[in-house]
Amino acid sequence: MTATLFSEDQRDALQELTNIGMGQAGASVAAVLGEFVQLSVPRILVLKPTLIPAALERIVGPEPVTAVRQGFHGDLRGEAVVVYGAAHCRELADLMGYDDALDEATERELLLDVSNVLVGACLGGLAEQIDAEMGFSAPSLMATGAEVGSLLDVERMDSPCALFVEVNFSLEKRSFACHLVMLLPEDQILVLRDAIDRFLASL
Amino acid sequence: MASTVLVVDDSAMARKMLIRSLPASWDVEVRQATNGVEALAAYRQGDVDVMFLDLTMPEMDGFQVLETLRAEGLNCLVVVVSADIQPEAQERVKRLGAIAFVKKPVDAEKLGVVLKEYGVSL
Repeated sequence: MTATLFSEDQRDALQELTNIGMGQAGASVAAVLGEFVQLSVPRILVLKPTLIPAALERIVGPEPVTAVRQGFHGDLRGEAVVVYGAAHCRELADLMGYDDALDEATERELLLDVSNVLVGACLGGLAEQIDAEMGFSAPSLMATGAEVGSLLDVERMDSPCALFVEVNFSLEKRSFACHLVMLLPEDQILVLRDAIDRFLASL
Repeated sequence: MASTVLVVDDSAMARKMLIRSLPASWDVEVRQATNGVEALAAYRQGDVDVMFLDLTMPEMDGFQVLETLRAEGLNCLVVVVSADIQPEAQERVKRLGAIAFVKKPVDAEKLGVVLKEYGVSL
């Protein structure tokens, strides 16, 4: 379905614009964690909402996950979800220099902070390039130790398709990894496509 | 004599943006590659004076290209052009032999300054 909504040039442009946002996010998180962050090429898919759980599972694998969601609004409206393998959440605490087991509230705060940095830098970087004004809602914890397939209530998404943008961050010396997924409903995909066209025309 | 530059990036748009940022006064023949494997193949055909190298690519990334160039004693000026703006990424590519790091989106003026600094005749 990607082919029908995005031309090859538009898809390529979105991937590169996301790549630049991802680079900024990677640098922000590297600064927070004090570790080198490995980046990979972002993946862009247009999917029926019912296919999103399987796409998430392909990225994360079968392990239980903890996830943070953060809405964005303004010129572009949608939702970003940051997914962590449940085991990786403890690694995060360790990275941040907490020696002892964290109480739940502190661990939650840490997750929300890191997610906020990732989403803000990645989407902010993308928005800046296409001259989009974007605001963010406060991040909130969606689920802890949940099955990845049950993370999103896709039955309730009343859009015939959704843009699924996947960005992966991992650390070289540790097993920590997390995945940022940006979800846009169909009407917003069209808004984004127009913005990409304007950007391409300006080159 | 015209210089030969090799622009390596998996994104067609990124290659286009880089090529447009090259100084207008620079007499160059531009070649392109879409990943590290292609870049090395193009390089081995010879004549490449300056390589503009992206880091985050499928098949073979920019770090691996730099390692290979160094291990094989291959010789050309490599300017890394990347969105990976971590200070450590910049240090690493310089240790691997890149002469400079230019962040994306590319600023034509800064690119010109970098090239002049390394004696590229514009």
